[in-house]
Amino acid sequence: MATLTLENVTKRFADGDDEIVAVDDVSIEIDDGEFLVLVGPSGCGKSTTLRMVAGLETISEGAIAIDDEIINDVPAQRRDIAMVFQSYALYPHMTVRENMRFGLEESTDLDAETMDGSVERTAELLEIEELLDRKPGELSGGQQQRVALGRAIVRDPAVFLMDEPLSNLDAKLRAGMRMELQRLQNELDVTTVYVTHDQTEAMTMGDRIAILDGGRLQQVATPLECYHRPRNLFVAGFIGEPSMNFFDATLEGDELLLEGTELSYPLSASIREELEGETELVLGVRPEDVEIAAESTDDHAFPVTVDVVEPMGNENNLLATFEGSELSVNAIVDGMRHVEAGQRYAARLPESAIHLFDRSSGRALHNRRIDDEEKLLETRV
Amino acid sequence: MGFDIRRLLDRIRRGRTDGSGDGERTLRTDGGTTSSRGSKVSRLRHSDAVQALPFWLPPALLVGLFVYGAVSWNLLISLTDWSGLVQPDYTSLSLEMYRQMPDDPSFIAAFRNTVVLLVAFTVVSLAIGLVLAILIDQNIRFENTFRTIYLLPMALSFVVTAIFWSWMYNPSTGTINVFLSTIGLDFLTMDWIGNPTTRLAAIIFALTWQFSGYAMVVYLAGLRAIPDAHYEAAKVDGASSLRMYRRVIVPQLSASTTSAAVVLMVFALKAFDFIFVMFGDTPGRSADILAVMMFRVAFSRTEWAYGAAVATVLFLMALSVVAPYLYMQYKRGDL
Amino acid sequence: MTAAERTESTSSEGRIATTLETIDSQRAALYAVLLGLIAFYLSPLWGGLTTAFKTQTGFVQTTPLAPPTPEWFTLEPWELAFATMQGGLVNSLLFVVPATILSALFGSLAAYGLTKLSWRGQIGILVLFLAGVFLPYQSVLVPLRQFWSAVDLAGLLAFAPFLANRADLIELTVTHTAYGIPICTILFRSYYKTLDDEMIEAAKIDGASAFGIYKRIVLPLSMPMFAVTLIYQFTQVWNDLLFALVLVTSRSNYVVTQSLNELQGSMAQEYNIQMAGAFIAALPTILIYVVFGRQFAKGITGAS
Repeated sequence: MATLTLENVTKRFADGDDEIVAVDDVSIEIDDGEFLVLVGPSGCGKSTTLRMVAGLETISEGAIAIDDEIINDVPAQRRDIAMVFQSYALYPHMTVRENMRFGLEESTDLDAETMDGSVERTAELLEIEELLDRKPGELSGGQQQRVALGRAIVRDPAVFLMDEPLSNLDAKLRAGMRMELQRLQNELDVTTVYVTHDQTEAMTMGDRIAILDGGRLQQVATPLECYHRPRNLFVAGFIGEPSMNFFDATLEGDELLLEGTELSYPLSASIREELEGETELVLGVRPEDVEIAAESTDDHAFPVTVDVVEPMGNENNLLATFEGSELSVNAIVDGMRHVEAGQRYAARLPESAIHLFDRSSGRALHNRRIDDEEKLLETRV
Repeated sequence: MGFDIRRLLDRIRRGRTDGSGDGERTLRTDGGTTSSRGSKVSRLRHSDAVQALPFWLPPALLVGLFVYGAVSWNLLISLTDWSGLVQPDYTSLSLEMYRQMPDDPSFIAAFRNTVVLLVAFTVVSLAIGLVLAILIDQNIRFENTFRTIYLLPMALSFVVTAIFWSWMYNPSTGTINVFLSTIGLDFLTMDWIGNPTTRLAAIIFALTWQFSGYAMVVYLAGLRAIPDAHYEAAKVDGASSLRMYRRVIVPQLSASTTSAAVVLMVFALKAFDFIFVMFGDTPGRSADILAVMMFRVAFSRTEWAYGAAVATVLFLMALSVVAPYLYMQYKRGDL
Repeated sequence: MTAAERTESTSSEGRIATTLETIDSQRAALYAVLLGLIAFYLSPLWGGLTTAFKTQTGFVQTTPLAPPTPEWFTLEPWELAFATMQGGLVNSLLFVVPATILSALFGSLAAYGLTKLSWRGQIGILVLFLAGVFLPYQSVLVPLRQFWSAVDLAGLLAFAPFLANRADLIELTVTHTAYGIPICTILFRSYYKTLDDEMIEAAKIDGASAFGIYKRIVLPLSMPMFAVTLIYQFTQVWNDLLFALVLVTSRSNYVVTQSLNELQGSMAQEYNIQMAGAFIAALPTILIYVVFGRQFAKGITGAS
């Protein structure tokens, strides 16, 4: 039970004569019992950050603290953390029982009986009692995953670290494990840092998610806040599947001129005020907010040709091109609705759903309107 | 699952604290945190470099003393004029011993023989090893048995093989001459190791018998690493078996060739035991090699400094074979 | 396609042009060549073995490849050779076993320190070990003799006569251990590089110290490599003559290769006794080779 604090944490690697900054000035405070997901594309520094917390990498600058104790110089062996690895990293020559006992034997002074008790109760918790006397080689991937989890849980650490623990499972097992992990963490109430490159895992599992790119922290917020109020272009594009539509746009008077087209998008005064005088912008709108209609009805709707229809059952993913241009837009419409490829429609980008970003810095200037803000964005802790 | 997790967990936690007596966290008692005091020292103590030290340092010291210390000492001795039963005098050092070498016909002969042995033995062993490997790689039955037998001589001591081959080469009843007479090649029978002109060749032949199996094992590993697609492609292109091996397969074995050649050359430089058992320390000018000469000069004639100088030459020869090889491996990132 | 299928189709290439009969004859020729080579590789051993069972007149009057007839058959050469080499066999066992175990253990420790704990400068140390594998022993012989005569091990061990009498063998043990470490380190290192780094890290996070990780994780997982290394080292050390020539001075400490060499010198014309002696000296390594051929092959190729 502890808080975990990262303060201006930086990691530099020497690469020949050059230096690579893998993690750049990252500060995050993780509350007691919180489930924080570190997410980002590969090479963004998320794993390095986790490994610094674990004590597997040194910290070049800044500080990491558990509760109020700075642990920069505490070796991994004494940090009171447990980690679940991507490869599970089970000890192949030991039985499941020995695997789970190992950490207790090495890090505590408990007597044998207490250790066996802990191991058995944890196995019960994870429903792997029957596997206790088998070796990892005899287990399926999913079972190994549970053992790796059990090995971490049995130690009852101050902080749990998980490094892409589900990425070696097949899709179906992964979905099940995702929910179970969440429930487990919720019940165990242990501060957890979970690293993944998969934005679905990030959205569904985290109390909060921290998005990293190029070693820099882009945003730390609840999943829905990241989704609806991205702080910048990167977050807006990274979170959400399929990702947000972006159009380069220039503000002229009270209209946005969409680049590469003849189209103009009228902007109301209240939004224009938020733009801080920037005129080189990026207009963003999520595919599910794009409305497809037969006819253009107002000045926020534009004629398009639908190129591709991907029926998903519950919904249809559309790819359409604005008439008279090369510019295309993704849209999601209800699965029961019939949309035909090759036909002309109108795509409406409702003003209430648009995001506007400063094109040079990527900073979000305006985010979409949310009706019941308090209720939607409150944290789930 | 889930409904009784909290209860289970409480039991786990309670079990822990009961076990250790005090109510707080039960980290190992010798632990203690060190963040406030001497953090630099702590960081150093726990760095991987320091943690690794106790593991590699004692063996490294042994190797350092016995390999590098001894090689340096040998170099130093080679610069003195030490001989006889007295102790060496390290005060006046010179290259005198090395200066003697070009004028010493026995050194010239030994050096020449060493080079001949090195090159001929390596080339022949590689060639035979390659042929063996290709034959074994034809999906034959009892592959393991064949391989085991071809490699068997390598498990034997030079002392043992030297004794076997002195018998093989025996002029009157040795297997070689008996075999030659049986197949009607009487005119070829001779005293192979008694006759100075054939002595070195006889040694090389016997050594090849002993080590070609090694080249075979290395080549076999190389052959097995070549993707099947390459055989397929060559066949689709209409290449004959022989042509396929020559044009497609063998060129891909260059890494195997290099590593096997280096090891074989080093074996050749160490071929002392074999010649020593066959001929004692005086195999005669026709079969003398530096390794034997060094032993004779130093330990039989007690010309320690000259022996050390010969040894240094031998060391440099080994180095000139191994250093480029290791450098190549390093460049390729194989180290 | 497996290697088997590949070679199958290679040998049967051009099935349209050639008939199955020529394929069969090709196959037959292949096996004939392979068997001929077997005869070549085994003939020195076979000739030795038959000779060792023949009387003096027997091996002079028959060809070496002919098996001993009852008329010439005798076990006497074996008895004589064994009597001469008995002491050497015991002495060899006394120093080869500890030297083998020590160099394997040191090699394993060094390899662990040089692979599983990462730090700068590993490569430098590693190259020093690697170069040691290829060292011609001649280049250290004179200093080695100087060193061990300066140390006076027998004097130091005077309190324990059993050890003092065998000072030569202890010197051999230490020397062979030192020169065996490089190859053992290389063999273990190639294996440790394949161990999962995350597993080592997991052990670290579980609270195990560097030594704890070695003892409880790395060492138990190293057993297959220990088999390879021990077999390789045993063969190398058992077969060596050169160090014994230089370091063993008292006849009572002669090792097996030395006593075999002596036997050969003293019974120059008695080939049957020589052959029997050679087989006695080679027996341990041949046995190990036959039983652990796979590990042996792995050991020798690991050196390159």
